[in-house]
Amino acid sequence: MLRFAAIRILRAVLTIALVVTFAFLVLRLSGDPARSIMGDDASPEAMAAFRREWGLDQPLWAQYLHYFAAILHGELGRSMRGGGPALDLVLGRIPATLMLTLPALLMKLAIGIPAGIYAALHRDSAIDRAVMVTAVAGYTVPSFVLGLVLVQVLAIWFAWLPTGGTGSLQHLILPIITLGVGGAAVLARFVRSAMLEVLGQPYIRTASAKGIPWAAVVRGHALPNAAIPTVTIVGFMVGNLIAGAVVVESVFSWPGLGNLLVVSVTARDLAVVQCILLLVAVAMVLSNLIVDFLYGFLDPRLAEANSTGGH
Amino acid sequence: MIMMEKVSETAAGTRKNTNRRIPFLVIASVLWIVFVVGVALLADQIAPYQYTALDLPNRLASPFHPQHLLGTDELGRDILSRLIVSVRISVLVALGATLISACFGTTMGFAAAHFRGRIEQFILMLADFQAAMPFLILSLSVLAFFGNALPLFIGLMGFYGWERYARISRGLAISASAQGYAGAVRQLGASPTRVYLRHILPNISSTLIVSMTLTFPEIILMESSLSFLGLGVQPPLTSLGNMVGYGREYMTRAPWIMFAPAVLIVTTTLAISLLGDWLRDRLDKGLQ
Repeated sequence: MLRFAAIRILRAVLTIALVVTFAFLVLRLSGDPARSIMGDDASPEAMAAFRREWGLDQPLWAQYLHYFAAILHGELGRSMRGGGPALDLVLGRIPATLMLTLPALLMKLAIGIPAGIYAALHRDSAIDRAVMVTAVAGYTVPSFVLGLVLVQVLAIWFAWLPTGGTGSLQHLILPIITLGVGGAAVLARFVRSAMLEVLGQPYIRTASAKGIPWAAVVRGHALPNAAIPTVTIVGFMVGNLIAGAVVVESVFSWPGLGNLLVVSVTARDLAVVQCILLLVAVAMVLSNLIVDFLYGFLDPRLAEANSTGGH
Repeated sequence: MIMMEKVSETAAGTRKNTNRRIPFLVIASVLWIVFVVGVALLADQIAPYQYTALDLPNRLASPFHPQHLLGTDELGRDILSRLIVSVRISVLVALGATLISACFGTTMGFAAAHFRGRIEQFILMLADFQAAMPFLILSLSVLAFFGNALPLFIGLMGFYGWERYARISRGLAISASAQGYAGAVRQLGASPTRVYLRHILPNISSTLIVSMTLTFPEIILMESSLSFLGLGVQPPLTSLGNMVGYGREYMTRAPWIMFAPAVLIVTTTLAISLLGDWLRDRLDKGLQ
């Protein structure tokens, strides 16, 4: 178990190092930031001063080492537009995003899991068909289309809710529904197929042949086994909490992290984009790590297999 | 007990059913996909106007206008013509990206299966990394910094989902290598490239095709989301997501600008997903 944990943590650290390298390469090699920030008609002296200030005049490998060292010290650069520390700017936006994504996550879990379980237990019933059709539709309708349709109907035609922006609890309703519906559909589909897989196993037939009431078979044997694959996808949703609302925030002009990302990308604000990329990577890696440990806990065979080097 | 019997009975029932006839929804999906691809291929022939042509007297005309069946946008450009060209661009991006992703992923998977050891570990680590990072965030940072030429955009979208092909082809290639036919060809002196491309690839192609069908709609959705944000396909070119993104500014006055492309995105992805699900259920139990 200890070996299992050590391997997982090492992999997590490696993944983050990979992201740092990726961020550095993509954002530095793709163009001259001095030119794109200052414009083509800036004087050469001003450009040189700008490059010196941001360390852009050093060789690339020196910039890379410097960058890595700076990140280890928690120094993530300053926003080239605003001038403040990029990390503060980014962290400042997280609460606004979580205000949307946390309730949306609860909505996904509260609708998706029961709907998936119910559909699997009543396979081919009218309700199963309805759940599946809704699930496929929820998965194929992109969030911006759903968001805009909701705005058109509820905000413009009926004028019940605001079209976008912030200020009151009512502003939260449409973005949360938009985020939640698609995720609930994906989750319902996933839970249904995980449940069907488990219900087809011989041990379920054995348990019910022994005369255990069906409800107890489902509760004691089917649900715990179906939970194992479900944990993966829920883990992905948790990791996506801080970055999963880019499109929806843009639809509703919500001042969260996603909005900051789109604006910074358009303005080529390197430090802020790198900072968001790293933060998202850390969130994803952490949630994957938790999922891995949960796996080991839910199914000890997996921890065994992994710690002996098997893949 | 009764419940259990019911489950297995109905399961057996549907299996017999699917073997006998193709469901109506799947036929409808195939017809719709054929229609969309036909529109994409014949875009220049069937578009009533040039997609950039302005008709300033008829700006923001509503649908069923005598000259513009689906109305016009804020510059008087014909929505139907723009829609037809958008379909072509969106299909082109999604098709190009799917092919790149499948080729790249399968190559990586074969490489992992062939070399094993360190190389395999490295490829698997890259695949884990790709699967763990939200693709939207990765591509947003790459796109804005490299600019937005169409070939580059298709190339970037070509990274979508490569890790799935890599994992599938690695697993299948490892088990195929252990089988008699691969060993026999190898004994006859075939090079590894020949063994993988001529003998193993045809044997695993049905699984790969099914997963291409399942990835295709996701690429359409990803492309339209990026274009919606204004960071994907750039004007004057137009794509379905791009039309929704720009139409959104005229939502109150001219909802039809974004309505038509939105409907097309949803119906097309729905049709391909339905087809993909059906193919997976029929051909490939292993992917489920």
